[in-house]
Amino acid sequence: MPRFQSVYCDFFYTPLTEDVEQLLARFQQTDSVRYEVFSAVWREMGFSDVFHGVTRVGELKRFCRVTLATALKYFLPPYSYQIRVGGLYLMFAFYHTQLAAPPVKIRVPLRDWAQVQKFLKDSVDSGHMDVLYIYQKLVSIKAIHYTAMPHFLSFQKQRKPKKEPVCADFIGRTTAIQELTSSDMLEELTNIQNQYEKLKQATAEVSSQVNMTHRDLSTRLQKCMSEFLTWQQKTYSGNQKNKKSGDDDEEEEEEEEETPAEASSSRARLLSSIKQKSYKNVQEASKSRRHRQAEAVESSSSGPEHVQEAAQQKKRPVSLRARTTKNLPMTDENITQIWHLSAPDEQAMIRKRSFN
Amino acid sequence: MASSHPPTSNSNIPDYEYLDVNTKPFHIGSFRNEWLNRLKPSDYSYQRDDDDTFDANFMKEMGVGAETMAELKSICSPDSLRCHPEGQQPDTELVPPEPMLQTLIQRKKRQDHRANQKMSKNRHDLYADELERLIVGRKPESTADIIPEGEIVLTINVYYPITSERINTSRPHMSLLMTGSHSLAELRDAICCVSDLQVCGEFSNTPDLAPDFISKDLFKSSFFFFEGVFYNDMRFPECQDISKTTIEWAKARNYPAFTQAKMEDTRFMDLTIKVGFPYLYCHQGDCEHLVIITDIRLAHKSDCLDKKLYPLLIRKDRLLTQKCTVCHLFIGRWFTTNDQYAPSDPCLFCDKCFRALHYDAAGNKLGEFLAYPYVDQGAFN
Repeated sequence: MPRFQSVYCDFFYTPLTEDVEQLLARFQQTDSVRYEVFSAVWREMGFSDVFHGVTRVGELKRFCRVTLATALKYFLPPYSYQIRVGGLYLMFAFYHTQLAAPPVKIRVPLRDWAQVQKFLKDSVDSGHMDVLYIYQKLVSIKAIHYTAMPHFLSFQKQRKPKKEPVCADFIGRTTAIQELTSSDMLEELTNIQNQYEKLKQATAEVSSQVNMTHRDLSTRLQKCMSEFLTWQQKTYSGNQKNKKSGDDDEEEEEEEEETPAEASSSRARLLSSIKQKSYKNVQEASKSRRHRQAEAVESSSSGPEHVQEAAQQKKRPVSLRARTTKNLPMTDENITQIWHLSAPDEQAMIRKRSFN
Repeated sequence: MASSHPPTSNSNIPDYEYLDVNTKPFHIGSFRNEWLNRLKPSDYSYQRDDDDTFDANFMKEMGVGAETMAELKSICSPDSLRCHPEGQQPDTELVPPEPMLQTLIQRKKRQDHRANQKMSKNRHDLYADELERLIVGRKPESTADIIPEGEIVLTINVYYPITSERINTSRPHMSLLMTGSHSLAELRDAICCVSDLQVCGEFSNTPDLAPDFISKDLFKSSFFFFEGVFYNDMRFPECQDISKTTIEWAKARNYPAFTQAKMEDTRFMDLTIKVGFPYLYCHQGDCEHLVIITDIRLAHKSDCLDKKLYPLLIRKDRLLTQKCTVCHLFIGRWFTTNDQYAPSDPCLFCDKCFRALHYDAAGNKLGEFLAYPYVDQGAFN
């Protein structure tokens, strides 16, 4: 245990995240991506004050780093375009209002560069000049560090692993289903199906026995898709209506009477909350063992619907022995040997102290 | 060479192995190339466009007219973020009264708590940026010494060896900035550890004759261990390959084979490493430090650009020094055992008290004791 707890040591700071989400929610309500709208919300909330009252240089610097990392988080997927614009404006705003001298830089990691470029292309295509101006300005004043990873990594587990990594309201909708409906894929599928049936009829001895495909495959698929679309539309528009009418009070929203359209989504929410609770129990194992539970990174899936699932799938890390063998393949695999890599209790204690 | 994974086009883009803890291994030189391929030279150049050039470029690139540009400029100026009227800026040292933001409510609580509690200032926080402030934006005197644009800058944490309970192992001993073209030998020379500075031997009979040469000059062998490769220091004829014992031991017990390379021939650019993963630096036989590369990025115009100042120390831990048992004023220089004058065994003395207590005016030894020169861990704060 460290002798004192420094503030703002983690990558994110929960109260700040709440503030930022509040700001972005207000920005989202305006249904606008204009910078002047954003700056009005910023001024209204008095957000520049967020840097005030930090007296120590080291602490201030850490806090500035946290603010910029938080803004960057909202600038990157899986959030909707509007929220990402808000994230970009936030980076600009935090960068200019921070009190650290020299200013702390925005850390853009290599793996997210493609997403940034895509975002910029979308902005060019839809002609959002203020978005482009703000971004170009940040590049031109050299506010960006081009880094390997978004954070400084020193083999420390974060104190509070975030349970709910994405704010559901900010996520963009998946468009895959819509794209599927609009394309000619279904028609193609029907044709193939017909052709197949025809061929099957032609071979008499098979046709009576083989029954591997559904005859109404394409119509069924069509039905599923339209069902999903109506569900998606109702959930999202319903949410937004609630947001606008019910004075941002989340609890109020929860207790509101369920419209039949919402029933399915609330069931899903219930299920996921149950699931999360059970995962939570698993996670909070005895404190002494917590250091072992590093979270395995899943290959991130593209659709936002998958994001939460991916975050929930916590795996036990592979044993040290397995990792060593993987990294340094054995020359002679036939001979089995006892491995002495597992440390005795005392040594494990020392190791733990050094990493925690 | 270090890695058994053949580098594919994708493996050079760092990604997490364990979320928020460390990355998968990647090749630093290729990582740099990946960035440089994606960026325009102006993005990482040290030159900053002036505002007019920026405006002209933007207008040309986006095809907007002068009028739109002027409008954009006025709307998107940083002044739009000011929450207080000009000239009425509140005191930035204080949390504003009646805050609405959660962050400020929490900070206010802490501020009030601190005001009530009279806490001592934490010296680690207080001096954390002292070194960094000295080197910000330093430009070299001659242009030959400037760090080339697009160079890699690494932040490296070196930790204390776990030798005593006194040391808080979660805090790095020192943080260094190095560039991609530095060799590992230069990192080794930059690591300052007291076990390099010890003088071995017992000198109670002849305290004036305690030799000046220190362990660093006597025992020069050392190695780094990154991703299954031992990088040995072989710069001097008296250097030994001290990793051989480990390698042979591992071989005898059928561990996967470890390989060797020379420290002085290996640049950071050639390494394949994981960011955030603890590696080993071992010297003086068994003084073992953890080394973690916490960050890798492209050089920036506000970095210290003078090549000669690298490896650059940006943070150093300040240990409390152990004082002389007699005067409690000066840092201990002598360490005695079996000492009839000492209140404890072993006992620590500064040079002055040690001589005053153990020798007569002519410098003759009084009584029986054994004395060893001592170098304090905090002596170089």
